Amino acid sequence: MSECIVKMEHISKAFPGVKALEDVSFYLNSGEVMALLGENGAGKSTLMKILSGVYTRDEGTIEVFGQGIHEQLTPKKAQEMGIAIIHQELNMCGHLTVAENIFLGRESTRFGVLSQDDMNKEAKRILDDLKIDIKPSTMISDLPVSKQQMVEIAKALSTNAKILVMDEPTSALTSKEIDELFRIIRQLKAQGKGIAYISHRLEELTHIVDSVTIMRDGKFILTTRFQDITMQEIISNMVGREIKEKFPRVECPRGGKLLEVKNLNAGRAVRDVSFEVYAGEIVGIAGLMGAGRTETTRAIFGADPKQTGEIILTGKPLKISRPIDAIKHGLVLAPEDRKKDGLCVRLSIRENITLPNLDLICGRLGIINKKTEHRIVSDAVRNFSIKMANAEADASSLSGGNQQKVVVSKWLARDSKVVIFDEPTRGIDVAAKVEIYNLMNQLKLQGIGVVFVSSEMPEILGISDRILVMCDGRITGEVDAKTATQSEILELATRFENKVGLQ
Amino acid sequence: MLKIENHVSLKNVIAVRGMAQVLTVSFGLVALCIIFGVLNPNFFSGENTINLLRQIAPILLIGISQAYVLITGNIDLSIGSVVGMSTMIASTLMSKGGVNPWLSVLITMVACLAVGVANGLLVAKCKLPPFIATLGTMTIARGIAQLANNNYNTDSIGKILGNDAVQGFRDFFYYGSFLNVYNTIWIALVLWFVFNFFISSTRSGRHIYAIGSNVEAARLSGVNVVATTITAYVVSAFCAGVVGFILCAQAGMGAMDAGNTYELYAVAAAVIGGVSTLGGQGLMIGTVIGASIWGVLQNGLQFANVAVAWRNIIIGAIVIVSVLLDVIVRTGAKSKKVIK
Repeated sequence: MSECIVKMEHISKAFPGVKALEDVSFYLNSGEVMALLGENGAGKSTLMKILSGVYTRDEGTIEVFGQGIHEQLTPKKAQEMGIAIIHQELNMCGHLTVAENIFLGRESTRFGVLSQDDMNKEAKRILDDLKIDIKPSTMISDLPVSKQQMVEIAKALSTNAKILVMDEPTSALTSKEIDELFRIIRQLKAQGKGIAYISHRLEELTHIVDSVTIMRDGKFILTTRFQDITMQEIISNMVGREIKEKFPRVECPRGGKLLEVKNLNAGRAVRDVSFEVYAGEIVGIAGLMGAGRTETTRAIFGADPKQTGEIILTGKPLKISRPIDAIKHGLVLAPEDRKKDGLCVRLSIRENITLPNLDLICGRLGIINKKTEHRIVSDAVRNFSIKMANAEADASSLSGGNQQKVVVSKWLARDSKVVIFDEPTRGIDVAAKVEIYNLMNQLKLQGIGVVFVSSEMPEILGISDRILVMCDGRITGEVDAKTATQSEILELATRFENKVGLQ
Repeated sequence: MLKIENHVSLKNVIAVRGMAQVLTVSFGLVALCIIFGVLNPNFFSGENTINLLRQIAPILLIGISQAYVLITGNIDLSIGSVVGMSTMIASTLMSKGGVNPWLSVLITMVACLAVGVANGLLVAKCKLPPFIATLGTMTIARGIAQLANNNYNTDSIGKILGNDAVQGFRDFFYYGSFLNVYNTIWIALVLWFVFNFFISSTRSGRHIYAIGSNVEAARLSGVNVVATTITAYVVSAFCAGVVGFILCAQAGMGAMDAGNTYELYAVAAAVIGGVSTLGGQGLMIGTVIGASIWGVLQNGLQFANVAVAWRNIIIGAIVIVSVLLDVIVRTGAKSKKVIK
């Protein structure tokens, strides 16, 4: 008889400017695989991070094995209670062996000296139990990702974990490896462990899942036995969100062809991507996390190397090997990760805004014309209503929305032909989002081609003229934003090459 | 709310620009001067002051060197060896080759700048860790300094040319004065103004800060990271080369170990003056204060007859304390921000 081992009720969690979770409930029974489903940003990962003690909850109750947890969970406490999370990005020390990784932080010692033999023996026992064929003394970096993941699972079991959270475990695996993973999951299930399984690959669910919980926009939607729900119902519950925010779409005639991308290939994440952008239109690129959208924009912009592909701007083929080549020709990118790629956080707002425009404000000797610089900065601050104490404050002192405005505004002092926005509204409040939309519309009216990458369906449907949908590094379809539905896009976005073998 | 925000931001302005550190250590500098002045009234005598300033000048120059490179987020360990190389090549050219002093200066400078270019290429193009790359060039440059005169210090630079012929060189870099101030001090001042202007008011200068703050964001904004890194290392090698000429002019010969461990004095001068070893921040005015503290300590402790061993211990402690202060101020500012 299975018992309820995790009971999370009325969980709420807010981050500055966003309500990530609102009154969410989640139940997990022993011997059950529970799929946690939802679009990007639905709050699945946040919920699981609360369960594993990475985040603290603002409200709500958690019971694990019938025992109420009143104080906040810490990662250490969660581990002691038998909760383990297998992250999407594996957290392992590549230079250490399998056994060393399994016992990292809990090394067994004899008289203060590491006892390598004990650890190797114990690791071998755990791996054998799982019928995983890996030598404990192998270096982690010598293992393929799939085996590393199994080591992570073994590590979790070595801490006596009874509740396992797997976040997108199959995204990097081949079909054979997935079969192996599923075998292990079934085995764990048979041992009475509870597994919370987060995945975007809906077609996998049939093979292992017992129940599903669906979330949307930080809210709990439903939980049910998997056999009681159809795939179509799952999809419509994931997206079933009315578009309540106002999207200020503007109409203008489509102009000539500005940008043409032909057969772009860059690594595993960008495969044979071709599309066109015309003057006076906003082209949306939709897709799930890891679909290769960011990689595509970076390859076009010259931030990452590309293997093959042609970039043609206003009829002229461009040779872009570095970002400066793209910038010079008027093709610019406002990158996704503000802190990592967009801002020099320890420089002032002024210096950030003028960084790509120094060629415009410097004389022939390369001396900065402070007057022009001041004008560009105050124009940007006014046009974007950037809220700040003064332009000399460092960029890190701004709120997320205002940081994003700085990242975007620095490109608009230039005469650009095509502007690519990668997730420009992530993590910013509604008012700031609308300002970003208006700005994209303004560019569109000026005859500039806008490429808009977003994971949020309502906004991509509300703002774009055309939407390209990507999945697994390929463009799987194109839809007209005015007539397309969210289900249509999600169907295209989950059109994976079938990796799960028929059983 | 708005008030708090203003308050925090103002604090940020001070902290980020490195001004807080500059102000703190300026007080420290004044305090040191007062202490030494009380301990020994002669400390403030006209003669000592002018000597003190002349001692500070080379430290300021290598401080500029290291500050430029630290602001890019890298480090230059080859500074001291470039000083030695500069001294040895210039003095060998004059004492052994009888080459005109100014032509010697020119040839030597080309060699020094080559080291700067090599450093920049190794770090930015070949992506070697800057510590390792410049450790290598440091050793190589010292080797070249030793090789210059076959493993000997040189003879007098006037040996072939005659003392009169090299007097102009020696006066220009060390013994001469203008408006009652030694030329060495003028050289340091002029170069300070040039490089302060360069880093604060030109495109390349801005790029130096940008790659130090976030190299990826800078690259995506169209900054040429390789060229910018090379520029910083070349400025560093240039200042080190000039210090080499100063030492050569002072001694009238070349010593193989000239400039030994100067790269570390340079780190101290820059860091005491508020330059972050993490890159992206630091002010040239801070380097003036940092170099001055270094010089005042050396001079004042010597004046007060403090044994060398104790001098080292005191100076080392002051390096740690001054940076620790900065860390405390900055983490203080940060925790406030989180509360907001």
